[in-house]
Amino acid sequence: MSTTTDNPQQQEQHQQQPIPVPPHLDPTTYPRTTTNPALNTHITLTYTPLDPNAALTKISSPNAGANVLFLGTTRNSFEDRPVSQLSYTAYPPLALKTLSGIAEEAVKKHGLLGVVIGHRLGDVPIGESSIVIAVSAGHRGAAWRAGEEVLELCKEKAEIWKKEVFVDGDAEWRANRDRDAEGELVH
Amino acid sequence: MPTFQIHYFASASTYTGKQTEHLAAPLPLSQLFDTLEALYPGIREKVLVSCGVSLGEEYVDVNGDDGSVVVIGPGDEVAIIPPVSSG
Repeated sequence: MSTTTDNPQQQEQHQQQPIPVPPHLDPTTYPRTTTNPALNTHITLTYTPLDPNAALTKISSPNAGANVLFLGTTRNSFEDRPVSQLSYTAYPPLALKTLSGIAEEAVKKHGLLGVVIGHRLGDVPIGESSIVIAVSAGHRGAAWRAGEEVLELCKEKAEIWKKEVFVDGDAEWRANRDRDAEGELVH
Repeated sequence: MPTFQIHYFASASTYTGKQTEHLAAPLPLSQLFDTLEALYPGIREKVLVSCGVSLGEEYVDVNGDDGSVVVIGPGDEVAIIPPVSSG
């Protein structure tokens, strides 16, 4: 990660001391986690691969009859254009608070026994997991519903951004509000 | 010179060519977008209109009631928050 740029606007700007990379863009300041032991919610932002088994372990409970695990993985195309790489950036002061709020609300609303939300940052190779969500509940209905709801709220609200780098060299920042859960354009 | 730090993400980072910088403080919140428009002509219409703004760890309403009373102080941390795309 670097603050250098080819953008000519930067050279025109007032000259100042180089600014060190802010902590939220420095992978060595991660993983960053927030846990609420009372509600058994666990939030993680990390630059290393996500571990679905660890997520399931955190929510396992003898009171649970249903455990739902969702892995969002990086896809190799966008509208038939081949994608070579995806990269994620987060603003943790807001993202951790937003994700904690989503998890805690889900526990209260659906009577869950635990929620894990983990998001990977930096470059994520095609086919690897960028997000893990795990929820447990006494019965499957609440677990299925909560799992989908938590994911959709994350995609709507979490202060995390995805950049798709295409094989032809172009790169584009995505906005989740442009697409629904089927990948269709929202008008 | 007292300053505050402002972070740019996604489209805001692309437009400014920066991930972060320091700007002179104090600055009334209501003048933030004018200040950025002067530094990066066109950014208001192309980027800022679809962005949220945070001050500290809270969202603030640049154009609403907050804008007329809130002042960004020395050492404060501001972030420009474009439409998000996690997952």
